[in-house]
Amino acid sequence: MIGTNDELLRQMKTKIDGIENLVHELKALGEGVPVIEKNTRCILSFTHTLTFGISDVAEVNNEGGEKIWEK
Amino acid sequence: MGVLGRKYWNPFVETLPREKLNLIQIKNFRKIFSYAKEHSALYREKHQGISPDDIRTIEDIRRIPLIDKEDLRRAQAGKEPFPFGELLGVPVEEVSTFRQTSGTTGTPVYVPESWESWQWRVEVWCHILWMAGFRETDRVFVPFGYNVYVAFWEGHFAAEKLGCTVIPGGALDTKGRLNKIQELRATALLNTPTYGLHMAETARSLGLSPREMGIKRMVCAGEPLPDATRKRLEESWNAEVYDHIGGTEPCAWGAMCEERKGLHIMEPYFLVEILDMETLSREVEEGEMGVAVVTPLGRRSFPLIRFNTKDVVRKGKADCACGRTSMMIQGMAGRADDLRKIRGVLFTPVSVEEVLRAEFCEITEYEIVVERKGIMDEISLTVEPEQETGEEVMKELMKRISERLKMKTNLRFFVRPVKPGTLPRYTLKSKRFKDCREM
Repeated sequence: MIGTNDELLRQMKTKIDGIENLVHELKALGEGVPVIEKNTRCILSFTHTLTFGISDVAEVNNEGGEKIWEK
Repeated sequence: MGVLGRKYWNPFVETLPREKLNLIQIKNFRKIFSYAKEHSALYREKHQGISPDDIRTIEDIRRIPLIDKEDLRRAQAGKEPFPFGELLGVPVEEVSTFRQTSGTTGTPVYVPESWESWQWRVEVWCHILWMAGFRETDRVFVPFGYNVYVAFWEGHFAAEKLGCTVIPGGALDTKGRLNKIQELRATALLNTPTYGLHMAETARSLGLSPREMGIKRMVCAGEPLPDATRKRLEESWNAEVYDHIGGTEPCAWGAMCEERKGLHIMEPYFLVEILDMETLSREVEEGEMGVAVVTPLGRRSFPLIRFNTKDVVRKGKADCACGRTSMMIQGMAGRADDLRKIRGVLFTPVSVEEVLRAEFCEITEYEIVVERKGIMDEISLTVEPEQETGEEVMKELMKRISERLKMKTNLRFFVRPVKPGTLPRYTLKSKRFKDCREM
């Protein structure tokens, strides 16, 4: 079994959350402006995807996770 | 990350211990269930007495009613908002892609995707293609006009996201597509198994060798792919051929890895339950056949909560040599709709394909017909050999086919040959099975 790097995942999750927050702020600033509305929608669709693959894993991992992946 | 960083599309989730995968699935099931109840009229009505807070375990999930295609049709026909009806989980102005089912079993279901839900579907396909070895250096040829059918749209967008060069091959005939494959030195294909065989056959008839056209990998979609057919495609194209399972409504929920021994369920993007065919209430044991009930966990535009796909599969285990920890399925019997009782015996058309492709490579095409003759059902198989042979050789071949099918299916087939080129060729899904008793 390959282990996961908890710290790395936590940092990634933090970044994803940060991107999401920033994009929401941008969306609010640009409300009614098509270029902002449509492009922020696109970016948020990608952060939604990343929550499945990264943020969820970071959340579910316990502390003291195993060493990262070596075969 | 080391060398393993490139083996998996998402190494974190693909090698996660099962207990953690399950936790993520339960959490996201609760989320999508809550979302569906709030945003979709269908689920507000259907799950009135169930609160998301009640869902803590898989046993809680099992108490939620199933839905199937008929439920989707009823929720859609003549209902607002047009044209998607009560299935819709987003405001209709957020729907950015329209797809529909093929209509083989009845009125097509319209499947709306918002930009977010579409990207979620594409992400799943990124996993599928990456597992099949698709990389940035591949030139992927898709020999279809995509139309409203989702199969190749997903593959196309996912291949682009991976960084492949994607060449759409619609509006060409088979010869034109073969020329394009050669002209652009395509390295990968996305096609139905039927069309993969058809292209190979056409190539040979034109004096070309499909084995030397440079295709290294192929992902098949649109219809079942028995292992014998998969190996036949591999032999025909000198390429690795990968299967996956899914549908327009539930998305692509299982796929092959480089080991090519069974399909990985795309966890945690989906919760897939494999339930007994009699009661649809019990998760089957490893090795047992069951019906796949699928919940896409991140697709909000068209939430599907415990969708009965009617795909009959064999449950595997989570111990693949590739290192992925997802549950696997080992073999598919086809759709429950395709299962038929013939003279008291349960029959699936896929069993015929398995025999013919594995043991009778001299047969290029076939057709199965079930008819009522007096009080008895009769099942006949028409086969088209690659080349004409003498009468005695043909008789012997028909006899061997009949005997093998009897051993495989417990049914006596009337087997007859036709001249090469007689039977129809299919470019999308084949229609090789006809049950005339229902007509």
